Amino acid sequence: MIGEALKGHLDLLLLVVLEKGPAHGYAVIEALRQRSGGLFDLPEGTIYPALHRLEDQGLLRSRWQEDSARRKRIYQLTPKGGQALIKRQAEWQKFSKAVNATISG
Amino acid sequence: MKENPLQVYLRKLRHDLWVRGLAGSDTLEEIESHLQETVEQGLRMGLSKADAEQRAMERFGPVKLVVRTFDKERSQVMQNLLLTVALLAGLFSAYMDALPKWDDTGILAGGLLLVSGLLTLLGHRRPWLIALAVGLWIPLHDIYLSHDLSMLLVLLFPLIGAYAGWAVRLGIRKGLNIA
Repeated sequence: MIGEALKGHLDLLLLVVLEKGPAHGYAVIEALRQRSGGLFDLPEGTIYPALHRLEDQGLLRSRWQEDSARRKRIYQLTPKGGQALIKRQAEWQKFSKAVNATISG
Repeated sequence: MKENPLQVYLRKLRHDLWVRGLAGSDTLEEIESHLQETVEQGLRMGLSKADAEQRAMERFGPVKLVVRTFDKERSQVMQNLLLTVALLAGLFSAYMDALPKWDDTGILAGGLLLVSGLLTLLGHRRPWLIALAVGLWIPLHDIYLSHDLSMLLVLLFPLIGAYAGWAVRLGIRKGLNIA
């Protein structure tokens, strides 16, 4: 149930996490899990296609970073991604306000 | 030497993503790096190597689910690309049709039919949308100039082409048992 509901808002959540600064996929997924108190716990392999799509759309860019143990692909918000985030946050606020107003009668 | 379950999982994931053209070497390296990091985290938590690897696989998700998600995301990009090609082809055909020296309607009608068919055969899921994107511009231009609504009949060519391509694709997928 949570997984299905989350899918529609995954882009917004990924952009929000990356607003804090560049991170690799593993760190993005950990941040999602931790910031949601463990509620947003999608299969990790399903996050990468979304990250790649956001990169294709120009909302993120990635670069490879050499770590001591291995290479990591680091994702970063682009200016276009920053604008998209502001827009989507505003849409979400409007939507959640309307849902709250409706369910609270 | 026998492969451990994580190696089998990675091999299957690599194979399934690779044969469908869903991931290049960068993505495969990224996935492998992610799994290794999860295993290392499990080891730091005190798990045995086998348990840490099992946990990494479970958290990453079943191979089928991961491949399906990559496929779905890739499909959306493909849909948009095919629609863009359809729009460009439609605008080009309207431009050709508007040229004073161009009078070969048969070639144009055949072109609309073929392009629409090809684009749905390549994978666009909405034949009607492809037909409109390819075929709407000529009638729009002519209706604007002559106010003759019968020009909308031109849309029949891309509609027939798009649905024919779509039907052939469905047939091929059923034949390959991937519908």
